[in-house]
Amino acid sequence: MPINLNHNLHQVQLNNGLRVMLKEIHTAPVTSTWIWYGSGARNELPGKTGLSHWVEHMQFKGTRKFTGEDIDNLVSRVGGYANAFTSSDWTTYFETMPSAHLHTTLELEADRMVSSLFDPVEVETERTVIISEREGSENYPEFRLDEAVQLRSFLAHPYRNEVLGSKEDLLGITRDDLYQHYRNYYQPANAILCIAGDISPQAVLDDVENLFGGISSGPLTMSIPTPEKKLDTGDLVEMKGPGEAHYLEISWRCPAASDPDFFAYGIIESLLSGPSSLNMFGSGGISNRTSRLYQALVEEDYAASVFGDLSANIDPGVYKVFATIQPEGDPWAALKVIDDQVHRITSRELSVTEIERAIKQARALFAYSSDNITNQAFWMGYASSFADYQWVAEYLTRLGSVTPSQVLRIAQKYLQAEQRVVGVYQATRTQEGS
Amino acid sequence: MNNAMPDSRSILRETWSNGTTLLAYPNLTSPAVYFTGYMQPGAIEDAEEFHGLASFTTDMLMTGTKRLNFQRLHDKIESIGASLSLGTGHLSTTFFGQCLREDLETVWSLLVEVIQQPAFAEKQFKRVRNQILTGIAIQNQDTAAMASQAFNLALYGSHPYAHPDIGYAQSVSGIRLEQLQFFHETHYGPNGLVLAVCGGIEPENAREICSRTIGVWQSNNQCSPKTLPPFTPPKNSIRSHIALESKNQSDLIMGVPAPKTISRDYQVCTIGNSILGRYGMMGRIGKAVREKAGLAYEVSSHLGAGIGPTAWKIAAGVNPGNLEKAITLLKQELLRFTSEPVTQQELQDVKTQALGRLPLSIETNAGIASILVSLERYNYGLDHLRQLPAIIESITADEILAAAQRYWDLDKLVITSAGKAIK
Repeated sequence: MPINLNHNLHQVQLNNGLRVMLKEIHTAPVTSTWIWYGSGARNELPGKTGLSHWVEHMQFKGTRKFTGEDIDNLVSRVGGYANAFTSSDWTTYFETMPSAHLHTTLELEADRMVSSLFDPVEVETERTVIISEREGSENYPEFRLDEAVQLRSFLAHPYRNEVLGSKEDLLGITRDDLYQHYRNYYQPANAILCIAGDISPQAVLDDVENLFGGISSGPLTMSIPTPEKKLDTGDLVEMKGPGEAHYLEISWRCPAASDPDFFAYGIIESLLSGPSSLNMFGSGGISNRTSRLYQALVEEDYAASVFGDLSANIDPGVYKVFATIQPEGDPWAALKVIDDQVHRITSRELSVTEIERAIKQARALFAYSSDNITNQAFWMGYASSFADYQWVAEYLTRLGSVTPSQVLRIAQKYLQAEQRVVGVYQATRTQEGS
Repeated sequence: MNNAMPDSRSILRETWSNGTTLLAYPNLTSPAVYFTGYMQPGAIEDAEEFHGLASFTTDMLMTGTKRLNFQRLHDKIESIGASLSLGTGHLSTTFFGQCLREDLETVWSLLVEVIQQPAFAEKQFKRVRNQILTGIAIQNQDTAAMASQAFNLALYGSHPYAHPDIGYAQSVSGIRLEQLQFFHETHYGPNGLVLAVCGGIEPENAREICSRTIGVWQSNNQCSPKTLPPFTPPKNSIRSHIALESKNQSDLIMGVPAPKTISRDYQVCTIGNSILGRYGMMGRIGKAVREKAGLAYEVSSHLGAGIGPTAWKIAAGVNPGNLEKAITLLKQELLRFTSEPVTQQELQDVKTQALGRLPLSIETNAGIASILVSLERYNYGLDHLRQLPAIIESITADEILAAAQRYWDLDKLVITSAGKAIK
C-alpha cells in the first residue's frame, strides 16, 4: 500500500516569515509540536564552537513569562514529554502532549523565541553541565575517534566541529556570546513550526497567528560557510589508548541532501552497510546482516560489528562506516576488506534486484513510523531544514527512479581512496576494571 | 487504532493447548505490524560456572537453521524489510520484530523455525563466542556498565541476579557447543510463550496466523523453569568503586531493594519515584545535582520492574572530582524524601503526568504491544489501563512517605561507582 505523506498536510507562511506546517492524524489523542531554527554547528565561528547547543540548554532555564520550573511543569504536569536537539544544521525543540494541551506548547514556544533570560548564574551552572555531557561522551574511544576523523574530513567548513563544542571553547564562551547568538538566530524568519496529530487545522492556525504573528523578524546575520571542494588526498588519523576493542572509521564525502545524487548514494549505503532509518523515535530499523560489509567483515571474522551512517545535510556532508574490531583482530586487515568491497561497488553496476530490495526496505522503514505522530512531525521540519517536505514525501519515488548506472557513477565520484579519511583507534590492553 | 484505551472488549486473548498465549490489538490505519513477547528460558537457568549459557544459546538462534544458513535466513528477513531479534533476561527470553502486514506469516514462521530448528553450526558458534567476548571486553571499559555490574553484585550477593545475563569472559570462554545444544533441547518450548501483536491486522487474522505457526509447535523435552531462590537484602551499607583510570567521567549508582512489582507498594513507589528523580528535569535530584549544583548532565532515579527481586536506584554521571560531592547531595535528597511527606503540589503534578501519559503510551504499535505483554506478565488483567487512573488518584503523600521509609533504608544503601581511582 503506498504511503501518502502529503495526506492532510497544510502549509502556510506568516507575514513575519514563520513557516507553519500542520498535519492531521487522528489515530491517537496526541499532538507533537516541533519548532526548528536554522542554528547549528554550521553557523558557528572558530573559538565559539558549541554556542548553538549551549543556547538550546538555556532555552529551558526561563523566560520573562515562565521560570525554568514552569517550563518543566507545563509539559510534564499533563503527561507530555519534551526535549531538544542540536545538530550541524539546526536546533529543534519538541513537545508531544495529550492533544487538549496544544495551546500550552504553542504559548511556550512563542515566548521562548524572543524572551529567554540567559541569567548569568544559570549560564555558569550550565557550563559545567555541558562539560559533564562532553566528558560522558569522551569516556568512549569511539567518540574520540569520530571527533578526530570529523576534524580531518573538512579543512575549514564548520561540519568539522563537534556539536557539543571543544572544551577550550566551552570554557571561554560568555553570556553575551550566547545571548547574541540567540537574538540573531531565534526569529520567525529563521524558524519552521511543525504540528502533527489530533488537530483541527484552522483552529490551530488561528492560535499560531495569534501567538506568533506579533513577533517581528529583524535582520539576520547568518554565518553561511562555503561548501568545500572534494578532498584530493586521503588522510589518516591514528590513535592509541586504553581499551579492549579496536575501532575503525572511514569517512567519505557525500552530496548535500537536496542534491539529486543523494538518492543514489542512499542505495549505496543500503547495499554496503545496511539501510538507515530516518526515524528519530524508536520505530525500529532493519538489521544489516546481509549488507556487503557485514558479510565480508563480520562473517569472515575481521570485525565484531559494522554499521554505516549517511548524513542528510544542507551542505555536502559525510558517509561514515564504523567497525568494532575484536581484541585480537587487526584494524588494518579490516580496512583492506572494506577497500575490496568499495572497489567492487565502484567497478561494476548493481543489479536491478539489489536496487528493488533497497526500495522495499525503505518502504518498510517508512511504514514502521507511520503510526508514530512524533516522527511524522519530526519529518516535516527535518526535511524542510535542508530541502523541503517533498524530499520525504517523494523519497520512495526518487529511490525508485535510481538506475544501476547512476549508482555506479555516484560510487565512482565519491568513494575514491583519495577522498576519504581513515581513523584507527588501536586499543592498548589494560588491567583496569578489577 | 482509536482514542479508546485497549481493554477486554478490544484485546483478543487466546491460549493454545501447547501453552502459547496470544494477545492482539488492531491498528488498521498502519501498514505495518509490531510483535513482541517472551518465553522460557532465562539466565536463572545458568549453572554457577557457566554464566552466560542461556544468553549464548539465544544468540545462536539467529545464526541459521537446519534449513537456512545465516545468509539465507537473514536474506529472507531483510529483503522484505522486516526485523526479528531475540535476547535473554533473568527469567525469560524475549523476542520482538516488525514487518509489513502482508509479511506477518512469513516472519512468524521464521520465528518458530529459528527457535525450533537452530543449526548450531561450529563456525557460527566460534563467531558468536568471539562477538560476546568482544562485547564483554567493551563493557569492562564502560563506567556505566561496570558501576551497574558492581551494584548488582553488592545488592544481590549470592542470588543469581548478581551476575550479568551475558556472563563473564571466563565463563563464556568455557562454554562448549554441545552444552548449547543440550540447553536448547531441554529448555525451549511453547509452554509459557506469550506473544503480543499490534498493527494493521485484524486480531482474528493474527489468531489464524498464530494457529498455523506458533500454535502448532510441540515440544516434549521442555523442562519446567527453575524456581527463583529467595533474596536476602544486604544487612549493611556497601560502598565499592571500580578503577578505570582513562575515563573523564565517573558513573555512580546508589540503591536499595525495590518493592514487588505486583503490589500496591509498587504503584505508590512509582509515583514517589517520579517525584524523586523522574518528573520534568529528573525530579528533586535533577534539581539538586544538575540544575542547582551543575554537577551532572545525567542524573535520575529508576524503579525496577520484574517478577523477581528488583532495585530502586539513582544513577548519575559526574566528573571524578565531584563524585563525593554528588553522593552527599543525593543522600541529602534521600534524607528529605524519607523524613517528610512530598508536597501536595508535587503529588498533584506527578499524578496528572501519569494520567496524561496514558494516551501517549498508545501512540505506537510498539507501545501497545509492550503494554499487552506487561498485562500478561504481571497478571494485571485486560482492563488494567481503565483501572489505572483510579489507582493513581488514590495514592496519598503519607503512603509515599511510609513506602520511602520502608525501602530507602539509608543505613543499608548500596553505593557503587566506576571511573578514576578515588584518592
